[in-house]
Amino acid sequence: DGVAVLPAPQNLSVHSTNMKHILTWSPVVVPGQTIYYSVQYQGEYESLYLSHMWIPSHWDSPIAKPECDVTDDITATVWYNFRVSATLGSQTSAWSILEHPFNRNSTVLTPPKTEVTKDGSHMVIELEDLGPHLEFNVVYWRSEPDAEERSKLIKNGGISVHLQTMEPGAKYCAKAQTLVKAIERRSAFSRVECVEVEGEALPL
Amino acid sequence: GQEFQFGFCHVQGVKLQVLRKAFGTLRDTVQAQDNTTSVRLLRKEILQNISDAESCYFIRALLKFYLKAVFRNYYRQASELRLRRALSTLTNNFLALASALQPREEDKVFSLAESARRRFLQVQGAFQQLDVEAALIKAIGEVDILLTWMEKYYQ
Repeated sequence: DGVAVLPAPQNLSVHSTNMKHILTWSPVVVPGQTIYYSVQYQGEYESLYLSHMWIPSHWDSPIAKPECDVTDDITATVWYNFRVSATLGSQTSAWSILEHPFNRNSTVLTPPKTEVTKDGSHMVIELEDLGPHLEFNVVYWRSEPDAEERSKLIKNGGISVHLQTMEPGAKYCAKAQTLVKAIERRSAFSRVECVEVEGEALPL
Repeated sequence: GQEFQFGFCHVQGVKLQVLRKAFGTLRDTVQAQDNTTSVRLLRKEILQNISDAESCYFIRALLKFYLKAVFRNYYRQASELRLRRALSTLTNNFLALASALQPREEDKVFSLAESARRRFLQVQGAFQQLDVEAALIKAIGEVDILLTWMEKYYQ
């Protein structure tokens, strides 16, 4: 029976960007040996009503690296606890628990990478695909005094979206931000990108 | 979009599709265990004719009941890992929803709260009439009835 002589992993923490949550910890080192880790989680409900209840992470254990993608474990905007144990052969360490529970509403939201192009006289934008939780608010306008800004909600990244038809000789610009309804937050805007259609401006 | 509006109670951040998917994982298992098919807790006459204003009181009472009296006792039976994960998704989203459903003091109307309480007591009464295990299975099995009713308040 595995005796807990192996040290427990230390320094657990969650790094979360754009709703992708990575649990990391300091590796347990035994020279010449591969250490495997098991990760378990409990949501706020379990910690409130069933504190003994821990659920193995979706990320298949055992894990050889000192990190684990726990995105699929976190399915509600509540507090989550995580714990990790190390295994070497028949030896298993004690569990080490995340010092502060994690809530996905603290994820870091970065402006999306955008590419604004023209397809003939059409203004088109493509946004990076940041996964199922993230939508995009795109603001676009014709670059002229007192320009009217328009906005468009785009549900998925990774596809080209038509914004508007452009007139020759005019410049058109756009910027975008990520939106996450599950946590009611949005990122800063990306830098502005503009395109211009050659040719004479149409007479007024 | 993707928010609940129970009368004056507004909740964002809980997706109905997430709840439906989680229950979908549990449904076959739990409904196969239900041997009291003639009994129904969330009866049609209880759920119909609930005014918008009353809906917030009613859903709060139901969520609290499910969180405190139903889900916690079903974890033991959800021994399979995929069931336990689905149950965790359901309970934690119900918890997020219940925490966000706080009617503002100025909106409190005693008569509505009282009407909602009487409706809820009918559900609880039927639950308590059943044997403990059967009541648990029945209540969990009827989460899809609850989700269908909640869908009317989802935009």
